[in-house]
Amino acid sequence: MGYITTLATLCMIQLILAQSLNLCFGLGGMLNLALLSSYAIGAYTVALLSTEHQIQWVPCILLSLITSGIVALLVGGIAARLRRDSFLIGTLAASSLVTALLINWKSLTRGVLGVPGIPRPTIFGRDLATDDLGFTLFCAFWTIIALAILLIVFRSSFGRQIRALAENPQLTESIGVNCSQARFLALFISSSMAGLAGALFAYFMRYIDPSSFGLNEIVTVLAGVILGRPGSYFGVIAATTFLVLLPEPLRFLDIPSSVLGPIRQLLYALIIYLVLLWKRERLFPIERQV
Amino acid sequence: MLEILPQLTLNSLIIGSMYALASAGLALNYGILRILNFAHGHLLMLGGYLFYTFFAVLNWSPLAALFATLGCSVVVALLTLGLFVRPFLRLHPLLPLVSTLALSIILESLVSIAWGVNVRALSLDSSMRSYELGTGNFAAYITTVQIVIIGSALILISAVAFFVHSTAFGRRVRALSNHGRAAQATGVNETVVLRTVFILATLITAFAGVLIGFETNLQPTMGSAYTVKAFAVLILGGMGNIWGAIAASYLLGFLENFSVGLDFGGYSLPAGYKDAFALIFILLILLFRPEGLLRKKNREV
Repeated sequence: MGYITTLATLCMIQLILAQSLNLCFGLGGMLNLALLSSYAIGAYTVALLSTEHQIQWVPCILLSLITSGIVALLVGGIAARLRRDSFLIGTLAASSLVTALLINWKSLTRGVLGVPGIPRPTIFGRDLATDDLGFTLFCAFWTIIALAILLIVFRSSFGRQIRALAENPQLTESIGVNCSQARFLALFISSSMAGLAGALFAYFMRYIDPSSFGLNEIVTVLAGVILGRPGSYFGVIAATTFLVLLPEPLRFLDIPSSVLGPIRQLLYALIIYLVLLWKRERLFPIERQV
Repeated sequence: MLEILPQLTLNSLIIGSMYALASAGLALNYGILRILNFAHGHLLMLGGYLFYTFFAVLNWSPLAALFATLGCSVVVALLTLGLFVRPFLRLHPLLPLVSTLALSIILESLVSIAWGVNVRALSLDSSMRSYELGTGNFAAYITTVQIVIIGSALILISAVAFFVHSTAFGRRVRALSNHGRAAQATGVNETVVLRTVFILATLITAFAGVLIGFETNLQPTMGSAYTVKAFAVLILGGMGNIWGAIAASYLLGFLENFSVGLDFGGYSLPAGYKDAFALIFILLILLFRPEGLLRKKNREV
């Protein structure tokens, strides 16, 4: 694929992921480290169904929404009961568990070898495997759908419930919001959207293996949410676009790719830290006093 | 079937000691001080890599390299505390979680850039010498490193547990974690306590990293695996109880080894799932007993 279309596609995938994290972490205060597990499961669903069972793209994408939502069942089961620290540990465990399964369940996922040769869909007679622009438009279509769904959630009364929950669960419950249900639903929606991003990623790369879904990959997404201000819909979109484009000049320097990855992660982690240090008193909602 | 039992027990003991060493630092920081250091496993990894630099790259003697590593770890501990923990302590509780998560990624990427992503092995001529215990069918083998792991786990961790639970300073530490303001009002110096405990925790963690570097290998990505294991141990043993954490380390070691070592009626768990065992354990406990298995309630005023 051409440079511009590749960059645009990657940017759109990151936008869906960042906005999913923004829903559960920015609005709901739940730092879901298993978000990339949903992403991985969405990608693997598409990869395995389309290579081994020759299933068309519409059912593939719909199924990937469902399978990645299933991760949310596990995480949501924990989340409904736990507060911040334990929630983080639980989702860390869940994410490590999914990675362990991707590597070790060889009969299903082919282990570290990964799944090659994922076919791209053919739509309106255009074969997206050769048609760059067509594929970018295909991704753009799904990105707009995902971002629109998330915008509706952000602006709905449900979004306000989640926001209130992050601030003070007891008070929120006292005005008749079912806290565990709301948390669960927020995690479910964000996991499904991450699964959709994973499905697009699988079609985009046409080859996936467990190394693309390591825990540290969340740093890009988290940096977008932190820089764009947690809970701010358009702030996160702007920040994520900026952050995806930011390390691009590094590509033109003569740096081996094995060092480029860590440098990019280092850059994002430093951005997270600096924003956190600078804005530490205003970044997360403080309990409002009456 | 029966003849693998001695070796299996010995291996469990070794793994258990490794977990005890790897989780003691987190037990101090999180269990006692309530500072969730997400970069715990990465500090362990950094300890291993520092030792690797002094020992394998600069060719220092093992003892000199160990002391240099511990010296560097004090600096690392003070930097971590001053830059990544202290500025975020009295503010929103999500902040230290995110800042130490950022620290973990910073450490992992720095190590990948400086030492490369390939596996590094530590070894000494004498470290791999193995001894035979028992006789005949029931023989079990143990290497020098493994003896050091078991021995230092017993000594170090007991010393830490004694320090926290039975000394005056330990009482001050626990008072501070139980009720910060009340403890400070009675004259406990928070800065001193935080620094001492954090340095102690980082030293043990770096030491564990060195031993784990000899016993297994060093890799930039090993950090989060040990963070997870340490949390598993803490949740199992009950926060704030070092003796509980020690017991839990050995329990986890035994559970992991026996779950994949024994076959249950012709079916045995593949070895790749050994690590997944701890994870399932954490998830189950968090789901059904979120307060921890042995947790005692804090006193409240």
